[in-house]
Amino acid sequence: MLTLLKLLQSLFQTLHSEGTPRQVAAGLVLGAGIGLTPLLSAHNLVLFAALVLLNVSFGGGMLGLALFTPLGFLLDPLFDRVGLALLEAPALRGLWTAGYNVPLLPFTNFNNSVTLGSFVVWLVLALPLYFAGQRAIARYRVTYGERVLNSKFMKALKASKLYNIYAWFVPQ
Amino acid sequence: MSRALKIFRWRAVGPLLLFLAILGLLWILFADRIARAETESTLSEMLGTEVDIASLRIREADAAVDLGGLAIADPRDPRRNLLEAGTITVDLDPIPLTEKKIVIDQLTLSGLRFLTTRATPARPADPNSPAGRLLRETEAWAREKFQFPRLALGRIDTVKSLVLQPEQLGSVKAAKAFAGTVDSTRAAFEQSVAELQVKAVVDSSTALAERLAKSDPKKLGIAGVREAASDVQKAIERVKEARSRLASLEQTTRTSLGALQRGLADVEAARQKDYDFAKGLLELPSFDAPKIGAALFGAPSTDYFQQALYYAKIVQRYVPPGLQPWNRPGPKRTRLAGTTVEFPRMEEYPRFLLRQARLDFATSGAGQNQFEANLAGITSQPALLGQPATLLASGRLGGDRPVSVTLSGLSRHFGKSPTDSLVARVSGVTLPAIQIPGLGFTVTPGRSTVGLAFALSGERLAGAWEVSSDAAAWNADSARLRAASLVESTVWRVVSGLSQLRVRAELGGTVDAPTLRVSSNLDDAIAGRLQGLAGEALAGAEQKARAAVDGIVDPQITSLRGKVSGLSSQVADRLPVERGQLDRAQKALEAQLRRLVGSGLGGIQLPKL
Repeated sequence: MLTLLKLLQSLFQTLHSEGTPRQVAAGLVLGAGIGLTPLLSAHNLVLFAALVLLNVSFGGGMLGLALFTPLGFLLDPLFDRVGLALLEAPALRGLWTAGYNVPLLPFTNFNNSVTLGSFVVWLVLALPLYFAGQRAIARYRVTYGERVLNSKFMKALKASKLYNIYAWFVPQ
Repeated sequence: MSRALKIFRWRAVGPLLLFLAILGLLWILFADRIARAETESTLSEMLGTEVDIASLRIREADAAVDLGGLAIADPRDPRRNLLEAGTITVDLDPIPLTEKKIVIDQLTLSGLRFLTTRATPARPADPNSPAGRLLRETEAWAREKFQFPRLALGRIDTVKSLVLQPEQLGSVKAAKAFAGTVDSTRAAFEQSVAELQVKAVVDSSTALAERLAKSDPKKLGIAGVREAASDVQKAIERVKEARSRLASLEQTTRTSLGALQRGLADVEAARQKDYDFAKGLLELPSFDAPKIGAALFGAPSTDYFQQALYYAKIVQRYVPPGLQPWNRPGPKRTRLAGTTVEFPRMEEYPRFLLRQARLDFATSGAGQNQFEANLAGITSQPALLGQPATLLASGRLGGDRPVSVTLSGLSRHFGKSPTDSLVARVSGVTLPAIQIPGLGFTVTPGRSTVGLAFALSGERLAGAWEVSSDAAAWNADSARLRAASLVESTVWRVVSGLSQLRVRAELGGTVDAPTLRVSSNLDDAIAGRLQGLAGEALAGAEQKARAAVDGIVDPQITSLRGKVSGLSSQVADRLPVERGQLDRAQKALEAQLRRLVGSGLGGIQLPKL
């Protein structure tokens, strides 16, 4: 329940005033990376650290995670095919062999078809997602933003204690 | 505020460190439990049976893992464990761990026990897991590749009617298929002869020779003689070409006729199998000594070989030869598992390596144990290691009645073809009773010496299983004995007085076409007694079975022989005739050419003939 509340808080705060559209879009891209790829891989630790440490919208990251995790499950068969095609490409064998024998890199599970496929798809989608997200947030704020912000639901949500914790991650 | 400060959110460092600390705490709390569950799951999937580990403790500072209470269930008998180990210490090389590779410097197992009874039955393996499939495949292999004659020791019923249907007989199927081959060979031969167009070549050559014979070269003039000679030379070339094609056809036909003769032999071989099939329908007992050995001890021996093949196949599955990328299923998770590809490289660590393991039986409950076992070079990528995995063990186990064990194994999965072999000899072991199939007898070998050798090299199999005992005891159901036939009671009289038991089974051939020869010290004795008792009746029944098969198969084989023989005659008659015609036409043409050249006109040079 707390998680859901936190998620809703971050979602609405993100959409309204916390951070510029660029910061929200950047957070969204990082969150999408965590959501699209299988969670228990080392690269997600790096993405999470980036989401926390970089001056991007943490709420945007949570929004990306919430939106793209179910999408990741749905697209797993596609990721599997993309990843396997890349792993089995003769031209890339040297690259994978080198990576497989480098310390720490194998913990990213890059040699798993779903992990690699989803990561590559995320990389390809990152820039378009960034620009589309930036534009969508800006448009939302000038159209529906004000009405939602003044709603009773939003006020109640903002009054929750969890907001204080969340505020640590609000972009400066 | 500097740009760097704007890019980084420094105040989030604290929460991030807190998050990492929580991860660390979770590791401390749950890592052992998760590692134990993962190890159990991985080993269970790999071996196709339940593997239990009572405790697992990771010692991060020492790069070591302690396991306690390992129990590996028998995949074929859920009520017992194949192996139990009291404590296991795994000393890891920390460097390869950074590459997610497990290299074990030293593995120490103590408190080992074998074939113990389980408190609760083991869970069956997932039938769709690789090991589950391998178990089913090897069980089917043992069932389908080895069929042993049963000692059907009832009344020898020579009066029993034997009704055979043609479609039951392999020779009929083979004959039908072969008849088609003969017909197509004949059609191909006739078409080839027609395509040679020998008659057309001979006719045109003969006509040319006859026309020139009637002409006078002096009247033809220089140009006429040259033209005529040129025509003759071209005609000779056509004859030579036709003869060359004829020679080629002759060669092809000889090969085809050879194949047809072999086909006939195959049909005959199928008929021999049909005799056995028909005898089986009469339920005749087989009293040949080799067949008696197979009937008595064939099934128990294949049981051992099937187990050996199962584990050899598991090793082959998880230890691929060479350094090619290796695809395997991804980890089990909520998301799709996908495929994980290994990319081994020379002079790098393999994904798994056990450098050395020492097995210590000191705490297994019997102080008199003197047993040493060493494992070395166990790896998932042997081509990287460049040396075979070896197992050497020998010693005595137990107190008052010790069991001597010698064991050696080798697994070489690099080079031309992967080879796995095992040689084991156990003396003084008390074997369980062996049920004799089809009879109410069991033999309890008592304290025996058992030997097992098994090797799988590529697809080639070799193996031997031996049992030797001087204290065998035979048991029979007394009620069944009272109702036993003369033959059955005769066998009982032969075996019940014997305390010596010697059985040997030899495996050979390939996985697809294995051979098994089983012999025992009982074979000749039983065969001699039974043949004396029932030889005449058996011979009559066998004759009846052969007659029933011949009645169906003979007409077909006779027809086939006629067809093959007819084709041979056709070839033998026709080809020399064609060759003779071509020879005569060529001679006639050459004679005319000589006549033209001899006329002295045109400066024609005689071609080399």
